[in-house]
Amino acid sequence: MVTPEEHEDGGSVPGLDTPEPDDFVLQASDLTKSFGSVAALRGATLELRAGEVLGVVGDNGAGKSTLIKTLSGVVAPDRGTIFFAGELVHFSSPRAARSLGIETVYQDLALCEHLTVARNLYLGRELTRHGLPWLDDRRMARSAEQFLERLGIVAVPGDAVVRNLSGGQRQAVAVAKAVAFSPRVLILDEPTAALGVREVEQVLDLVRRVRADGVGVILITHRMQDLFEVCDRLLIMYEGTDIARLTTKNTTLEEIVYYIDGGSGREHQRAGSITSAS
Amino acid sequence: MARELTHGASADSVGTRPRVAAQPFLRRNVPILALIGLLVVSGVYFSLASDTFLTLGNFLNIVRQSAPALILAVSMTMVMTTRGIDLSVGSLTAMVGGVGAVLMRDGWSVWAAIVVMCAIGVVAGSVNGFFVAYQGIPAFIVTLAGFTAFRGIALILTEGFSIPMRDERFVWLGQGTIRNVPVPVVIALVFGIIGWLVFNKTPFGMRLVAVGSNPEATRRSGVNTAALLLRVYVISGLAAAVAAIVIAARLGAGSSNAGLGLELEVITGVVLGGTSLFGGIGTMTGSLLGVFLIAMIANGLILLRLDPFYVPVVQGRFSWARCGCTPMWRVSATLRRDSF
Ligand SMILES: Nc1ncnc2c1ncn2[C@@H]1O[C@H](COP(=O)(O)OP(=O)(O)OP(=O)(O)O)[C@@H](O)[C@H]1O
Ligand SMILES: [Mg+2]
Repeated sequence: MVTPEEHEDGGSVPGLDTPEPDDFVLQASDLTKSFGSVAALRGATLELRAGEVLGVVGDNGAGKSTLIKTLSGVVAPDRGTIFFAGELVHFSSPRAARSLGIETVYQDLALCEHLTVARNLYLGRELTRHGLPWLDDRRMARSAEQFLERLGIVAVPGDAVVRNLSGGQRQAVAVAKAVAFSPRVLILDEPTAALGVREVEQVLDLVRRVRADGVGVILITHRMQDLFEVCDRLLIMYEGTDIARLTTKNTTLEEIVYYIDGGSGREHQRAGSITSAS
Repeated sequence: MARELTHGASADSVGTRPRVAAQPFLRRNVPILALIGLLVVSGVYFSLASDTFLTLGNFLNIVRQSAPALILAVSMTMVMTTRGIDLSVGSLTAMVGGVGAVLMRDGWSVWAAIVVMCAIGVVAGSVNGFFVAYQGIPAFIVTLAGFTAFRGIALILTEGFSIPMRDERFVWLGQGTIRNVPVPVVIALVFGIIGWLVFNKTPFGMRLVAVGSNPEATRRSGVNTAALLLRVYVISGLAAAVAAIVIAARLGAGSSNAGLGLELEVITGVVLGGTSLFGGIGTMTGSLLGVFLIAMIANGLILLRLDPFYVPVVQGRFSWARCGCTPMWRVSATLRRDSF
């Protein structure tokens, strides 16, 4: 079994797995954000290449959601920079990030309960007729339905009202909304929390397909097995900072957990392993 | 749109899965049907009790009298669907009417005065909208300020007098007819149809429901929600200006007493129609029927020579009766959009 210490000796120091800077689709550095007296982000850094899946893990309240909200324009960071495809960007609104092709599935799903599935999918990008401000509800419903069916997570009729859907169906709609418009960066904040085993597989499958198309994917999840299944690299958040970067194929569950706990419990961990050995 | 809907899987990954049943027409429209039921029952009652009630002339009379409220019901439905409210519209009609009367007294042409009146409505609506949308102040508080201030301005302008507006072309807007249909009825009808189409068939209308349903989700979807809210209050101000023109033309005068209590009449009708005070649910048809019901009850009671002091009491009873339908309506509140 590989312990964190051995790993460090082996040269796999966190940070050395960082890829060359030229092919980053998204690069954020030193992001800081406080809500009143709560420092949600204390200088977090993240980089994402096109065609890779970056897993972001950390304890509850580590700042994962806040981090991705700064990337999707929902939260304005107090400090820090974001480069999109090599260019410095300041997202004044979620619209700005969306127009660049950064699509997000939020942890709270962010759907409008009173609207139909189709209208939710197309909200902000409505299909209209003949270039007039005239909704084409039938086309939106049909194409939403077909799209959900092709995604294969859960089938949902396009004209069903979201309020009538189950948690899993809603999650499928939220995921569909994010992948529907050819994203360049896809951010998924716990997209599988409400899903059954088979549906989770469909989402992970989708992530692989999207990656194959050259999309950069950020996946936040508490399900360790998902990380090992689809992620190329892992970014570990601890109290508002990125405490470690790991390559999935060179790491272990123990190492991930070690960093999730802040990476400072070494003495404690060693003590624990001695106890269990004896 | 070329970039729509990519990244689909192959179709073979789809099996048989649970589907969400579409709701039957009847259940979907319980609130509207309840309202129509009330209309029919009270209509039949008044028809039996009074031989003048069920005539085309009386019907047009009801619509003509409630035209300002019908016009405002259109904009109020939009405002309330976004979780807002506009309490200032009644006072605004007084202010706009007062300004129009003063301008025409001072020799302005009718059309110039009408343009200025509409502009005042737009400006007043923008002020409301600015504080609601960009300062985040609750609509109730912002428009309550307008409720007080606008009538105060009307009082100052008119010095409390009713200022006559005698120009025939202007008076025609309130008292004239087009092929025997009163002009205010035509204006209200046009307003209602345009309002229905905008609310149900345009991206703007859909986004109004979205922002009332979940403002943050709407913002995250890339909608400029602040601009959207600003626009809805501007529409409300403009509707108040049109209502003011109809009222002033009907009275042939601008008065600081115009539109007293109008906002409450409108809000009652809109809520009676099934629009939710909590946003996300609105129905144009319901609002128009609700306002019409209130006006019809007043009309019927007057024909029955009921003491006018009792009219509001009976109208209140109808609101209660309508509230009795609420449990049914909650159950079916789900698929209610897209219905009317
Ligand atoms: N809008 C907000 N207002 C105030 N505090 C906030 C807000 N958003 C986040 N926080 C705080 O910031 C910290 C980080 O929250 P965040 O949601 O980013 O954590 P997380 O890593 O996503 O946790 P989880 O795994 O539970 O989703 C928490 O302490 C949270 O209470
Ligand atoms: Mg979170």
